[in-house]
Amino acid sequence: MKKNRGMIVAFVTPALIIFSIIFLYPIIRTILMSFYKIENVTDSMSEWSFSGLANFNKLLTTPLFGTAMWNLFRIWFIGGIIVMSTGLLFAVILTSGIRFKRAFRAIIYMPNIVSAVALATMWLQYVYSPKYGLLKDIFTFLHLDSLASIQWTDTNHKFWALLFAYCFGMVGYHMLIWLSGIERIGVEYFEACTIDGANKFQQFRHITLPLLKGVVKTNITMWSVTSVAFFVWSQLFSMVTTDTTTITPMVYMYMQVFGAGNAMTERNAGLGAAIGVVLSVCVVCIFVLTNKLLKDDDYEI
Amino acid sequence: MKKILALVLTACMVVPMTACAGTAATTTAASTSAAADSTTTAADGTDAAAQSDATVVYWSMWESTEPQGQVIAKAVEAFTAETGIKVDLQFKGRTGIREGLTPAMDAGTVIDMFDEDIDRVNTAFADYTMDLEKLSAKYDYEATANPGLIAACRDVADGTLKSIPYQPNVFAFFYNKAIFTEAGVTGVPATWAELLDACAKIKAAGYTPITCDDAYITCMIGYHLARLVGEEAVVDIVTNNKWDDPAVAQFAIDYAELYSLGYLSANISGNVWPAGQNTELALGEAAMYLNGSWLPNEVKDITGPDFSWGCFSYPALAGGVTGTEAANYGAQVMAINKDSKVSDEAFQLICYLTQGEYDQMMSVESVGIPADTSNTQWPVMLSDVQPVMAALTTRYSWAAGVESNADMTAVIKANVLNLCGGNITADEFVANMKAGKS
Repeated sequence: MKKNRGMIVAFVTPALIIFSIIFLYPIIRTILMSFYKIENVTDSMSEWSFSGLANFNKLLTTPLFGTAMWNLFRIWFIGGIIVMSTGLLFAVILTSGIRFKRAFRAIIYMPNIVSAVALATMWLQYVYSPKYGLLKDIFTFLHLDSLASIQWTDTNHKFWALLFAYCFGMVGYHMLIWLSGIERIGVEYFEACTIDGANKFQQFRHITLPLLKGVVKTNITMWSVTSVAFFVWSQLFSMVTTDTTTITPMVYMYMQVFGAGNAMTERNAGLGAAIGVVLSVCVVCIFVLTNKLLKDDDYEI
Repeated sequence: MKKILALVLTACMVVPMTACAGTAATTTAASTSAAADSTTTAADGTDAAAQSDATVVYWSMWESTEPQGQVIAKAVEAFTAETGIKVDLQFKGRTGIREGLTPAMDAGTVIDMFDEDIDRVNTAFADYTMDLEKLSAKYDYEATANPGLIAACRDVADGTLKSIPYQPNVFAFFYNKAIFTEAGVTGVPATWAELLDACAKIKAAGYTPITCDDAYITCMIGYHLARLVGEEAVVDIVTNNKWDDPAVAQFAIDYAELYSLGYLSANISGNVWPAGQNTELALGEAAMYLNGSWLPNEVKDITGPDFSWGCFSYPALAGGVTGTEAANYGAQVMAINKDSKVSDEAFQLICYLTQGEYDQMMSVESVGIPADTSNTQWPVMLSDVQPVMAALTTRYSWAAGVESNADMTAVIKANVLNLCGGNITADEFVANMKAGKS
């Protein structure tokens, strides 16, 4: 095929232009903004006041931002382990030849389609309710009165309540990614495995898992990207005013850029931009790390 | 066939892109506000708004489904029929205004008037508002306006009138009169001691005296501290971390006492809004709740029409600087864009919406307080609010300023919830606040 430079340029340019405007320009502008103090997020550059690394310093010294990052870390790490392992478990079960596979897959994925607002309202006002909630009813029925009287949404338990509710909704999405990865593995490997006399666990350990390395990277990256943007669930679990148990960097950023809920607080869009930069750097680091640790080019399928 | 399909799909892709190119460049947050209801004649990219005959572009903070939104829509229709001035009414919702208004105005979108909370319009949007003194004088607006509210509007805008109030509200204790009568509480508590007294009787009658939700819990500490040392000192404490102020310790002791005497709901530390107001207050299990005068409207479907609402100002505290004459009262306000070319017509619309017939309709439909003093008939559910509001002379801002430090609000909230739930003692509360942790 003859390479026609004109054609290549003509086809690539529109995409490149759109990419630059929609992705590249905002990234560069945000990085720039993080070095200034800016009151209104859409202020023109003439109204920015240069502050150097002051925004980043402020983030390092604000305890609330530290709390937010700690919450985010626990959501990413503990939530990640829960969601990945549960998703993998479901995926392995679904590919082991059970009946009604399609129905189960749809059911497990369903929470992902439902709006987060609806899900959170259900969890908060029904499941966790201390008056007539699902958990309270179950525990009272089982005569576990001390468990029944736990206030699932008070300061001591709210974070775990939030994490559990969020993971419940996210399992389906990651299960689908695992599923597609497992289904890509050639059936002849499993057949050879069975002929050689391996049981399900050995099959999983020696065939499935090693051949899923690429999918592990995908899942970790997708999980990192979505958990770094953890916002809606935090807002729903702490209406109007933020809570130390549910605050995440995105929520803190929102407060800095648009002001707090009811009180008029000082706004600094530059600080918000700095938070964005910090979070992006975190995700890039995670991505680079997983790429280094999980090399999937030593297997040939 | 394939070629035609390809052509149609290409057209489908190109046409919206060129249409969107005319829209104001906005952040993704603003694009979700554009996705929110946009009624009547609005098309994307209204830079083409007719300059010949006056059209007033009005961005409203309500949703078209809310009672306020419905009344405004009706009023706008009648206004256009009466005066011939066209109105482009767009319902943006709360987040649409909070996130999208200033970016849209920065990008040059034609917006003539907008509304939001009195504090937000006069601080966050201050640079975009027009001075309304001349227009107000021209239409003699202050003849029938509530003087306290107009004074508050001037106050927040450093002495100039830049916004017109409507939907006034006051933040005070709302209570279930039936429970008070049953428990034998006569009158309303005006001091802390009387409040404790009333709580004891209510508890003896088998009801929960006081409840709250996490969303409003900061108002309880805000009011309590402001009663003791005044709002300015509260702002000082919170912004400069002066938690060793004796008022803080006093608050902790008082609320620890409320908890230990069993006057606070057992669920208060776990209530996520609106659990407390819906499942405890509205269902008649709890008696009192520090909330806003929008509360009866919010829970009217749960309480039914027979619920008897009472209201009293937060009690005075011994040795306090402010008393029951101080509370957070405010309003939603309408303002005009300082770059508007149709400011006179816009002000006419404001008068139409906030006075006379449609102000009365707004008050009735949204169970709210009328803005026009010539509308003397308040909704029955709010009749007890009238004397409370009439007696107010000092205005607190939201939560009496306790939320002024964005980095501390979350910590305050968590600690107050723990204190009210009995998870920490008064001393631990003060120690936590000094250390800035929860």
